[in-house]
Amino acid sequence: MLRMSGIVKSYGPTRVLEDVDLAVEAGEVMALMGENGAGKSTLVKILAGIEPADGGTISIDGATVSIRSPGHAQAAGIGYVAQELSIVESLSVAENVFLGDETLGFFRSAASLARRAKPYLARVGLDHIDPLSLAEEHSVAERQLVEIARLLSRKARIAILDEPTAALSETEIVRVKAAVRTLAAEGCAIIYVTHRMPEVFDLTQKVTVLRNGKSFPAVETAGLSIGDLIEAMLGRQLGQMFPPRAAHAGEEILRLDACRASGLKAPVSLSLRRGEILALAGQVGSGAGAVLRMLAGVTPIQSGSVTLEGSAYAPSGIAGSIARKVLYCSDDRKRDGIFAVRSVPENLSAPALSAVSRFGLLSPALEGEHVTRIARQFGLGERFLGRLAGNLSGGNQQKVALGKWIGLDPKILLVEEPTRGVDVGARSEIYNNLRNLADEGLSIIFASSDTQEVLGLADRIASFFHGELVRICNADDVTAESLTRDVTRASEAA
Amino acid sequence: MTSQDASQRAKFTIPKTAYGLIAILVLLVVASVTTPSFARVDNIFVVIRAASLTGIVAIGMSYITISGNLFALSASALGALLAVLFALLTAAFGFAAGLVLTLGLAVFCGLAQSLAISLIGNPIITTLAFGTVFRGLAALFSGNSILRIESEAALWLGTARPLGIPTQSWAFIIAALLSWFVIRHFKIGREIVLCGANPKAAVASGLRVGLVTAIACAALSIGVAIMAIMTVSQFSQAKADLFMGYDFDYIAAVLVGGIALRGGKGTPLQAALGAVLIALLQNFMLLHGLSAGVRMTIVGLLVIASISLFHILQGRGR
Amino acid sequence: MTSETKSNLARLGLMIAVYLILAARIPSYYSQPGIAALLDSAVLAGIIAIGVGLTMIAGEMDLSVGSMAAFAGILSIQLFPYGMVPALVIVVLFCGLLGALQGYCIYKLNISSMVFTIGTLIALRGLTLVVSNEKTVLIPFENIAETDFLSAKFFVFSIPSATLLVLVLLVDFFSRRTLWGREIFAIGGGRGEARAAGVSIRRPIIVAFSISAALAGLAGALLSFRTGSASPLGFEAVLLEAVTACLIGGIALAGGRGSILGVLIGLFTIRFLVSGIAALGAPFWMQSLATGALLIFVIIAEAAIGYVTRRRRMARALTA
Repeated sequence: MLRMSGIVKSYGPTRVLEDVDLAVEAGEVMALMGENGAGKSTLVKILAGIEPADGGTISIDGATVSIRSPGHAQAAGIGYVAQELSIVESLSVAENVFLGDETLGFFRSAASLARRAKPYLARVGLDHIDPLSLAEEHSVAERQLVEIARLLSRKARIAILDEPTAALSETEIVRVKAAVRTLAAEGCAIIYVTHRMPEVFDLTQKVTVLRNGKSFPAVETAGLSIGDLIEAMLGRQLGQMFPPRAAHAGEEILRLDACRASGLKAPVSLSLRRGEILALAGQVGSGAGAVLRMLAGVTPIQSGSVTLEGSAYAPSGIAGSIARKVLYCSDDRKRDGIFAVRSVPENLSAPALSAVSRFGLLSPALEGEHVTRIARQFGLGERFLGRLAGNLSGGNQQKVALGKWIGLDPKILLVEEPTRGVDVGARSEIYNNLRNLADEGLSIIFASSDTQEVLGLADRIASFFHGELVRICNADDVTAESLTRDVTRASEAA
Repeated sequence: MTSQDASQRAKFTIPKTAYGLIAILVLLVVASVTTPSFARVDNIFVVIRAASLTGIVAIGMSYITISGNLFALSASALGALLAVLFALLTAAFGFAAGLVLTLGLAVFCGLAQSLAISLIGNPIITTLAFGTVFRGLAALFSGNSILRIESEAALWLGTARPLGIPTQSWAFIIAALLSWFVIRHFKIGREIVLCGANPKAAVASGLRVGLVTAIACAALSIGVAIMAIMTVSQFSQAKADLFMGYDFDYIAAVLVGGIALRGGKGTPLQAALGAVLIALLQNFMLLHGLSAGVRMTIVGLLVIASISLFHILQGRGR
Repeated sequence: MTSETKSNLARLGLMIAVYLILAARIPSYYSQPGIAALLDSAVLAGIIAIGVGLTMIAGEMDLSVGSMAAFAGILSIQLFPYGMVPALVIVVLFCGLLGALQGYCIYKLNISSMVFTIGTLIALRGLTLVVSNEKTVLIPFENIAETDFLSAKFFVFSIPSATLLVLVLLVDFFSRRTLWGREIFAIGGGRGEARAAGVSIRRPIIVAFSISAALAGLAGALLSFRTGSASPLGFEAVLLEAVTACLIGGIALAGGRGSILGVLIGLFTIRFLVSGIAALGAPFWMQSLATGALLIFVIIAEAAIGYVTRRRRMARALTA
């Protein structure tokens, strides 16, 4: 039904997709898999009309179509459920089903919308909820199902679901899977992006794997072994970009005992030593990021205890963690990591204003010294110092976001997705920077969904799946395959 | 990426203050060519004096804008309240005590507003409400009648011309330089700028966002207090309907000065320049015999044009 | 009962309580002419509040309504010689067009509407001064009786107050039961989500600002006809009362929630209070002081209630 062939896409000099082919038939669920950075989300966005392709053809039922906007995609019968939901919380469930649908006529009543929404809601297993109730009264899973009901109502012939189960519990996943089957039974062709092995083997008929922007020919799920699948996904060679590991680690600096926080489904116990880099490996919603946010004081510690250098640690808010020299970089640097409209030096000294001022006055000498030290440590050349942070490349922005903490003499650095949106060259530099800091005695915990990064950078690895800690191992005892099995729960799919 | 970096870098080599200066220069040239009476020394004094008190408040307002809180709509009403209070306090305790107490009360009013803004999150609506309350309190305290003061010191403050320059203009110049110095060289100034640039990143970096809003509101209140005290001193009287409708002059000065609406960019000097520019324009239009309505329309259109222009320029810069 | 119904009942209760407390002191509150006067006093702020409310539901805010009303007042008196109905129609259409243009600019520039409408507020006030030649304009003395019917009462209603009530019902219907109205709610409740679902952002913004300006124009014209004159400096204080009515009536500052019927409740809560204060002999400035204090009280209370609800919801999510 849908055929994409020879799709090419570059961002600047970086080629994200080169020659990708993909085909889905009506009534078929096809898994789209691949490591982070393999190009899955770019491909999906091209199909949904959010990004234009640089080359290649898309045809539906044999006819070539041109998709240059979300409107084109919708007109061609393509429905897209993104990771960030498009449900307006203050509207009713029924209105959300028909949101953006102008074919229902100008006049509409809540009751008529509810009546029309009912059958679609029933087909995704939401027959028990009141279509007139507000979307905000329902769980994330139910909102996800409302999105699928929206696809049904629009008679979408091709549905793209981008990690629809990332934030859901097991019982909720069952409901979403049932809704996906309904969608397929109606003759819809489904592209299902996921990192979760059980879902792949349970739900899909075919798998297309992307690796380094290239596609492998689709294979039947039934005849596939987990080993084959993992092998196809891996094989990205990044070995050269990682610095050697630490020769030895110091004494224990941080200990978590049976800690729970928002985003964690089971208590987590961990320890961290001085000069050590600990990776929390896991996909979106795995709980890896939740541990960092808890340690940073963004979300409260609900139960259990944390010990930092022998004394209890329970930060109340970000300021509390900063006071204890536990410093946090979120995964969205544009949102809260950098001051885009201010210069690089001003960014670098932002958390350390007290250290670079005397009697309430900023000291240009102290600030200059401070900024130069960080810039040298992070390889930010002179020519970047006069620029606005927002005008830097992703890699240099990330250096600014990380580097601004160095001036505070941190004890522990918490980094979520250290190289998201960072090009290959700058990645290697950032890895080296982090390793150098660790060698100087800083302890680092980073959360990452990038297998290669976890394997290459960490001394020890804690793998997470679905809000639970799976296991903690020394990096030497972990292979790409075993790690991928842990973070996709391959054991359950077998 | 690199070519993009370079082109955007080039765009930022001209500081925003330069636009204001260029506009003032162009206007001066046009004015002196077309209007002989414009370039005369006494007329220049009139312009600077007219810009002074508005300019002082606009400088305070720029702190609100730079800190990321858009505008306050309560400045003129607060001015009336402080004028009434200053007159009452001076009558009761003398000029010096009146001056100090009025400044103290101004800071208190600023802090009360900053608390409400932090809680509610919408500075414009919050200050709209506070403005009405201030105006009502001014009427309440004054008994809605004209209050007169008699004080030599006040009269000097209101009418003297040290070195030939009116005290109001001295205050304006000092306020402009001082506030610029605070934003540029004080730790709290940097915090104001950073909180305005990205409040979420400011919180994540451990900066004191609540304190910044408080300081910005207090700065505006002090500017308003200076305006109120000088006006009462000059005319030796105060009443509750002083400064009615002036709020938009202060805001216009900030907007024409090109201070970024999203916060985090610009300096108080731009607001000062904006005030001078508007005063020049007003004076020029007055000399050409334009009516009040035409003058107001032109200022309004200038405001809309500068909002749009600066907004587009800054939008591209991101 | 949903939480929205509950909060609407609470607001209705507040309005009735204010009425009863003051009616106990002020006999005119339950006389026919007294109620008619109360209704009439609500017309200006009421009609304007409907439009402001709509822009607030869209997650924006139109601050230029006072200037727009003054502009419409002058224009309508000047067009009076061509007949009252044509003048009214032309003025309302023209204001609606200006509002649509304003909405388009706000959409296109992606600028804070509160900032942009401050600019138009100044410019329109200036334009009003220009058009009126800076003088109060009057309906010619010999025609003055022609607009008397606007003050005539049918039971407790006059034509303006009946217009207010009809408009509330109409716009309430529009906002609840039409595609365009629901789009306004959608973009106010979650702009990014609505856009992702395929809702156009342009149309609802233009529609909301256009209706807001047209209603401000209608209010300015009606009031000017009723008094037979229009001042270029008039209607300055109406914004505060309109915004207060919206907020007391349950329209969220953040957008997306509330109803136009709620605005009517908020409006009469203020009118009962302010008229009552006036009837009890307080000076005129006490009235605006009371409105301002009420507004501060309401927004702080809303912020506090919102904070508590969020905390409670979060706590519930954690225990679940």
